[in-house]
Amino acid sequence: MAKGMSRRGFLKAGLVSGVAYKIAMLAGPARADLVETPASRVPPWVGADGKARFRYDAVAKVTGDKTFGRDFRAVDMAGWPREQSHAFMVFGDRADHVFEGIDLSVLGAAADADHLLPDRVVMGADLVRDGVLPPNDADGLPNGFYGDVFLVPAGETPRFLGQPVALLIYHDFSRYDAAKRRIRFDTEVVRWGARTGPNTPANYGTGRYVRVGGDRPDDRDVYSPLDGTTVYGRFDGDRVVWPAADEAGDATARAMWAAAELDREIAGAGDDVLVLRREHFSQSIDASAMEADNGLVWYDLVTGTLRAVLGTQSPYETVSSTVAMFDKSRFRLTKFDLSIGYTVGYGTKDHSVFPFFAVVAGLYGQGRPVRLALDRFEHFRTAMKRHPFWMKSTLVVDRTTGAFRILKGEYRTDGGGRRNFSPEVSLVGTSAAQSVYYFPKSDLSVASYASRAVESGSTRGYGTLQTMTATEVLVDAAAAELGIDPIALRRKNLFRSGMKNTQGAVPGGALRNEEILDRAAAHPLWRDRVAAKAAFEAANPGKRYGVGYAQVQKDYGCGAEAAITTLSFDAAGRLTMRQQGMEMGTGLTTAQAMMVSAVLGRVPDTCDYGATRFPEMPLVSNEIPYAITQAEQDRLAADPHWTPSYLSAMTASNSVYYVGHATRTAAKALLALSLWPAAVALWSRGPAGGQLAPLAVTLADVRVVDGALAGGGLEPLPLDRLAATAHDLGLVTGVSVHTFNRWKWATASFDVPGVGPTTLPIDALSVQYGEGAPPERKALMTAGGFHFLPRTAVDYPETALNNAGVTYYTTVGAITEVVVDTATCATRVTNHHSILECGGQVVPQLVSGQLQGGLAMGIGHALYEELPLYEGGPSDGTWNWNRYRLPHAADVAVWTQTSEILPPLSDTDPPKGMAEVVMIAVVPAIINAVADAIGHRFSETPITPARIREVLA
Amino acid sequence: MTLPTTPLSLVVNGRQVGPIDVPDNLMMVDFLHEYLNLTGSRLACGQGVCWACTVMLLDTDGAPPREIRTCITGAHFFAGKSVRTIEGHAERDADGNVTALSLVQQAFIEHFSFQCGYCTPGFVTGATVLIERLKREPVARADVESTIEAALAPHVCRCTGYVRYYEAVRSVILDTPGLVVG
Repeated sequence: MAKGMSRRGFLKAGLVSGVAYKIAMLAGPARADLVETPASRVPPWVGADGKARFRYDAVAKVTGDKTFGRDFRAVDMAGWPREQSHAFMVFGDRADHVFEGIDLSVLGAAADADHLLPDRVVMGADLVRDGVLPPNDADGLPNGFYGDVFLVPAGETPRFLGQPVALLIYHDFSRYDAAKRRIRFDTEVVRWGARTGPNTPANYGTGRYVRVGGDRPDDRDVYSPLDGTTVYGRFDGDRVVWPAADEAGDATARAMWAAAELDREIAGAGDDVLVLRREHFSQSIDASAMEADNGLVWYDLVTGTLRAVLGTQSPYETVSSTVAMFDKSRFRLTKFDLSIGYTVGYGTKDHSVFPFFAVVAGLYGQGRPVRLALDRFEHFRTAMKRHPFWMKSTLVVDRTTGAFRILKGEYRTDGGGRRNFSPEVSLVGTSAAQSVYYFPKSDLSVASYASRAVESGSTRGYGTLQTMTATEVLVDAAAAELGIDPIALRRKNLFRSGMKNTQGAVPGGALRNEEILDRAAAHPLWRDRVAAKAAFEAANPGKRYGVGYAQVQKDYGCGAEAAITTLSFDAAGRLTMRQQGMEMGTGLTTAQAMMVSAVLGRVPDTCDYGATRFPEMPLVSNEIPYAITQAEQDRLAADPHWTPSYLSAMTASNSVYYVGHATRTAAKALLALSLWPAAVALWSRGPAGGQLAPLAVTLADVRVVDGALAGGGLEPLPLDRLAATAHDLGLVTGVSVHTFNRWKWATASFDVPGVGPTTLPIDALSVQYGEGAPPERKALMTAGGFHFLPRTAVDYPETALNNAGVTYYTTVGAITEVVVDTATCATRVTNHHSILECGGQVVPQLVSGQLQGGLAMGIGHALYEELPLYEGGPSDGTWNWNRYRLPHAADVAVWTQTSEILPPLSDTDPPKGMAEVVMIAVVPAIINAVADAIGHRFSETPITPARIREVLA
Repeated sequence: MTLPTTPLSLVVNGRQVGPIDVPDNLMMVDFLHEYLNLTGSRLACGQGVCWACTVMLLDTDGAPPREIRTCITGAHFFAGKSVRTIEGHAERDADGNVTALSLVQQAFIEHFSFQCGYCTPGFVTGATVLIERLKREPVARADVESTIEAALAPHVCRCTGYVRYYEAVRSVILDTPGLVVG
């Protein structure tokens, strides 16, 4: 193992720091086979046309099967004790006083026959004594990522409001339930000492992207982050100090010089340009995943075995961080079995601290499994929130041409009391601020602050909803100032194919912004809006009608995407797939199987999702894909077992494109390395080279048609026969691929036995040989039954691409129709139309459902959802959906809304991640529609009746 | 110590349950989860506003079933009554395996109505109660959409934005003879 390898470097072999681990999905495949023909070879969720008739997991979910982690109890887990304990946390409601302890007298006295005192109380001092601290050093996570303590020790001031101070464990449910209800809103349980003032962590980070393009978009940039650097400032208290500017200095100094030049240009702007300055605030919200955080953990004190049922988007990180947690504690860990249920989080269960709280509960269960399952009040207290953004924007527009010259954005975010991904969310949001426009010059900066608020973290949109909303509202404001139609102004400034983003990177593929804009302009909602407004308002006195438009693009992927898919078949032709993809509700398990079908004509007979142990892919990684230098990457890449990153979490809308890339590539590789050679062997049989000899057929000519490989006029060969032949001949019968993407795919070459030199968009390849393979070849299958093929060459994406921000975009435009009631001051979305471009769709119904769901969430952000940040906010334990207004069916124009999805440009267009972008455009579209309705462009969300009233008063 | 309990007997999914000693203040959702291990009725808000936890209360006198929120209704409310939870909608064989889905369940899966599926049991329950009511009290075609809106209004879905649930229910209503008049 190379020097500097991280814990995850060990993780590949099923060992983390010597601890054997196993991760498995709890819920098996859908019970689809039980409602269809059990004997069918084709899983019945796939129709005769090869398309998904319903989701892979549909039957399990619609019949109430245990699917979520929350559904499982100890009695459901094989080999676990039946007796299970229950735990809940006590939370502090102050962050400026010393925590002194808890007073549980409300639960009675121990001598009372009917007391509700817990069987075990865990305090912060216990954890400090036992060395149980948040795992901040695993996997390269920055210090303070998960905070510095789980439970505030007595004598200390909490870092933030609502920080847990104690954990109460009960050995029976009824007493747990009764005690929890009694304590729930009791503010006397926590005892406070002297007032100390705040104890917030240090502020989290800053970042700045400065770009000055050449005279034309194609010209070499004068300065860009891609060629230079992202600038990082420092905090002096709450003041951001940026590095010094120097035209002749290093990359950072030159960036600051360029920023100063832009400031001078803005300050000296003449009458020929519009300099529009606006501020915008995007509020804190709770993603309100319906499954509240929960965990069930059993720690066997005798054997040091940890078993857990957790809902998480990042299981690999959960394993390695848990092991790191144990390393520093007095507890011994010899084995970790993690069971993952289906879950849903909209980003908030990615690198969440909650699973580790569940582990803590398990540690103190006195050998019994402990369930820590939050109710909604608790979930509001603890779940990561969407970052509030305060944004100052300056847009410089040529009054004559309408061309954008400069965008300057100065953003501030509040990450609350734990760091989590605050700087990263802030930077990604900043990199997206350009929305769908080309800016010749831009200076976009952000500062991410710590506070006593509940922490913010990865949440659907990852900062981009906030910044693109600000920009889209700004653009409409500019159009109004200039007297230009908003769509016409957008058209003049569109980000087009081949142009550079604000980091200086050129996005991959065609940008189809103009097509979307054309369709929006022609849509009746937009085209006829003036007449519709006049007619509606004439017919409905007291109500104002408005139509607004916005268009955004959202990156997908995290810039270090790694995935593995293993595909193999037996001699009977039964296809098996293993991959790390996990179901977060988006339909991954359905779509990944359909991707195999698109190449091989059939879905796998067996799918093993959520896999993390891939002995067939024995790689190591130092897991610093963002920080690694080019020289180090070049050096390490010489080791064919090295990869920049092993496996990614399920996040950043990454499943369909990135995880799907591994799946699609594995399927294609199986076709090329296995089925094609088997077919050639069969077609070549017979006299004079058989039926193949007179023809000129290549791999590119063949297709799977009706379950058989055909093409070039050759006899179609059923896949089962090809499988049998491949096994008979000892050809390749299975492949495992590892992929890596840093805004560009790694590619590597391999010498595949029996096939020859092969180059694929992957960085590692293992193959399995058929039953008829000679013993010496079979002897090579030492990696989990596969033969790991050391790559003969590899081309990793250059490390400079870490400054690219993004190169993959999905785009959506939204036209929104609203009615504002001037009596109630309520705003109602009465219709909307969306236009989405997401490449080739895998399962259109899943895309459509995702779009409709995203729109509902966007409507909630624009009109309803809002959380106070500090006192009186979610930390106080009184928040639930009675007062936190979620969008209901009546709020989303459920019967009238429409959408269209641009057809792909070709049948080889890959699918694009679209889970986040679909909720964004509707937010600024609503703001712009309200402006059309009442003549006031709001600078903050949500647009509540109270805010409308202020304007109309 | 022990909490005051009372024996509880009821019918769940056609099977007699109890008597079981159940704490007097226990909510039905907790009884289903912790005493019967029927976890399909989902706890989400715990205060009766999202309707993920609902079950059907069946009336033996032939009245239409009612949709009851189990997170705010005590278990003892159901004493002597008959309920259908989400686990009881599909037909199952002797081993509990699903052999046929209900019309509503079938429509939901064919319409790709849900993603995460946490709210699905509540929607199945609410839609089924509506269908049962319409069997007794058909509505005019022009009122189908508003009838669905009224019946499912409080149900919260966070993933798919309601559209595919509503379209699925509409298809069941329009495709089932006798639910629509005129």
